[in-house]
Amino acid sequence: MGDLFSKEYKFNQRINFCLVRGMEMLQYTIRRLIGMIPIIFLISVVVFTLAKLMPGDALSGKIDPLNSDPEYIEEMREQMGLNDPIPVQYVRWMSGVVQGDFGDSFVHKRPVMELIGDRLPNTIILGISALLITYLLAFLMGRYSGRFAYSMGDYLISAFNYLALAIPSFVAALVAIYVFAINLGWVPASGSIGSGVEAGTLEYYLSKAKHTVLPAIVLGAMATAAYTQFLRNDMIESSRKDYVRTARAKGTKESAIYNKHILRNSIIPIVTLLGFDIANLFGGAIITETIFTYPGIGYLFVESVNARDYSVMMAIAMMLTILTLIGNLVADLLYGLVDPRIRLS
Amino acid sequence: MKKSAFWLLSLLLVMSVFLAACSGGGEKASTEKEPKDDGKASGEAQEGGTVTFGYTQPFKGVLSYAYYEGEDDANALQFMHEGLLKVNDELISEPNLADYELSEDKTKLTFKLKQGVKWHDGEELTAEDMEFAWYLIADPTYEGARFANVAMIKGAQEYKDGKAETIEGIKVIDDYTIEVTVTEPSVNLLENIWVYPEPKHHYGDISSKELPDSDQIRKTPIGVGPFKVKNIVPGEMIEFERFDDYWQGPAKLDGVVYKIIDGSLAQGLVQNGEIDVIEAPKDQWEAIKALDNVNPVEADAMSYSYIAFDWGHYDTKKGVVVSDNKKFQNKSLRHAMAHAIDRQAFIDGFANGLGKPLNTPFPSVSWAKIDDSEINQYEYDPEKAKKLLDEAGYVDKDGDGFREDPEGKPFTINFDAMAGAETSEARAQFILQSWQEVGLNAKLNGGSLKDFNLFYDTIEADDPSVETFMGAWGLANDPDPAGIWLSTDKWNMWRWYSEKSDELIKKGITFPEDASKDVTEHRQEVYNEWQKLVNEELPIIFFEQRVDPWAINKRVGGVKVTPFGTDEFHKWHIVE
Repeated sequence: MGDLFSKEYKFNQRINFCLVRGMEMLQYTIRRLIGMIPIIFLISVVVFTLAKLMPGDALSGKIDPLNSDPEYIEEMREQMGLNDPIPVQYVRWMSGVVQGDFGDSFVHKRPVMELIGDRLPNTIILGISALLITYLLAFLMGRYSGRFAYSMGDYLISAFNYLALAIPSFVAALVAIYVFAINLGWVPASGSIGSGVEAGTLEYYLSKAKHTVLPAIVLGAMATAAYTQFLRNDMIESSRKDYVRTARAKGTKESAIYNKHILRNSIIPIVTLLGFDIANLFGGAIITETIFTYPGIGYLFVESVNARDYSVMMAIAMMLTILTLIGNLVADLLYGLVDPRIRLS
Repeated sequence: MKKSAFWLLSLLLVMSVFLAACSGGGEKASTEKEPKDDGKASGEAQEGGTVTFGYTQPFKGVLSYAYYEGEDDANALQFMHEGLLKVNDELISEPNLADYELSEDKTKLTFKLKQGVKWHDGEELTAEDMEFAWYLIADPTYEGARFANVAMIKGAQEYKDGKAETIEGIKVIDDYTIEVTVTEPSVNLLENIWVYPEPKHHYGDISSKELPDSDQIRKTPIGVGPFKVKNIVPGEMIEFERFDDYWQGPAKLDGVVYKIIDGSLAQGLVQNGEIDVIEAPKDQWEAIKALDNVNPVEADAMSYSYIAFDWGHYDTKKGVVVSDNKKFQNKSLRHAMAHAIDRQAFIDGFANGLGKPLNTPFPSVSWAKIDDSEINQYEYDPEKAKKLLDEAGYVDKDGDGFREDPEGKPFTINFDAMAGAETSEARAQFILQSWQEVGLNAKLNGGSLKDFNLFYDTIEADDPSVETFMGAWGLANDPDPAGIWLSTDKWNMWRWYSEKSDELIKKGITFPEDASKDVTEHRQEVYNEWQKLVNEELPIIFFEQRVDPWAINKRVGGVKVTPFGTDEFHKWHIVE
């Protein structure tokens, strides 16, 4: 009887704890979301101001007697409201944004949201592939480095990681294209899809994969440093903990200690880094996408900055801002989830 | 991004040296053994095959001549659509889809369409399609830049302003005949008037404002050209297939792929055959030209670069330039500054020889270009420059190595140029040093180059710091200099006012008084006089005319290269 009572009591306590915890998290999330509003507002002011401070506008590029004339440029500036005072322009833009309307792209002649929607799938495919590659490599390298810390292999892995971190992505991209696409001819050098394939067929998906693999590797393999070193250090730290000593004392095999006990504990904090990757995932890789002519968000962003296509540029900047904020929130929540000792406040 | 291009390029160069050293060596040796290919595509022409046309900027996908804006979309349009008229090798408009007739008083233009010209969906091209295109462009909600090309039609302005229900000057006579009345006679009417029909049955009721974003233009565009659109991957690639009912007979190729690439990869992609035809990036031309599988073609372009002197400002209220800057009023100074620059060395050094010095604002491909023997060539001659400066009173009085102005005050020259290309900085330094060598204290305005937008913003705003600047113009096929050179033109960037010049420019587009005289001959005379004037006055230093380099894979034949790009697409073929 007493045993049953205590079990039930424990169970209730657990539920209670979960409920309290859940309420706490919900409260915390709401508070954070409300806190984001002034931040988003401030950032919108900054994004808008910086955009307007850039010399030129989408019509400066039209100085070309072959295709337009000064009257047309003046007329369009007036029509697009570019001659209005800056605060007026800001209010007009912001009132659209609040309703989810980011305006039309002057260069592309279509609504910004459609334009971004078109590019997002490409960017997400590339982002996820790259992230998977990063995780896989970082997991393997981190596990090895953590287990055999201060060995030759560990140093080699560190060297690779920091080298990869230091090499600018355009250099990596060009070298990769030159070697694998142009010289060896294994994969296509640019684009996201080959010619002559029909959408929906197997060939189509194969072509898509073939076009994505090289940029994904360039993106993914060059970004392993943070994860690898994080995992490595955590494993080294864990290996000095009491439970590990106990396991050793009990005669558990060394491989089991690392693969079961330590790894499991060390992987958890890494999961929380996922939150920070969200913005990266959608933001695309500006330089890599441009060099590979891979039509994603990053490429669109560069194109828009060069053409002074403000509405697109500001929409992408705002989107990234919001995603970064959400990403941070997700990371914090994940922390709380995996480690109940962390108080959300 | 642009700045990194320099590093990209240098890296690519270094890499290509390495890679060529280890892998390319063998290949080269083997081709040298059998030099049977003399470069020209002389082999047997084949039916079928696909050619890839490359470009280095993403296209926007506005696939209609009335609405497109950049070269990126024009490159795709050229395969799929054509106009009633086309420009021939002498840069004069001639009949294409239609014959034309001009009335005695030169105000009525009648187009007679060829019968049996088909749109890609099988419908026949009719006069209504041409009428429809004019109405779209003159529509009050039209946001494109082509209104200037219909503004001469009687009643177009009223229609645009909403004062009229129809355009008075357009009259469809029957399915194949359309007559336009223009507001006043003009010698270059055929060059200026809009001649690209739009498919009325295909667009339906969509308004002129909505059309550029419609599926009819973005996803299922049609034209009457030799190739029809099969598949569009936005910003990346357009696949075309042969249109069997093309009015000049089906094209030889099965299809064309228009593919966007990153400029830094041009050489590699041409080399491995992923791209067959491309206007090559100038900085890679040396390497691309030397590739075994490439026919290099250099075509004189309709564009030129210049170094302008700042003459004053634009009076926005009166709408006219005011040449009130005293600094460069002395003609000897301007001549001396031109003689100080070795333009050929500049072209050889920075553009792989892709350019030619020019001395009037007409490139040599223009029919109106004056004979070189009639104008000053401003050849490189620093001694002459120094002599001219000495005579004009610009001498070094305080011994600092730089000349002072005739009043003995320090004389400095601000120079502006655009950043962007990897050699921009070196180019600017070349000009500065050329002037410094003849004793003129020239420096970069503000100490650095300006990006494209800032450059034109500063100049258009008549910023007082602007004194000399290097710019460039692309030109239309008609030589009329209005738009850039009249004293009322906003794009008269150097703000040069000359009554004589205005008078000649206006005279250049009138019909000769003696009606029996050939119009072209008359215009040539007027433009010769005008060229002599600007060549002597030298309001800007005419710098170089551009040469466009085209890389064409040897497996492709029949590609015609013109000052405006490639042409005769239905004759392109694969060479055995």
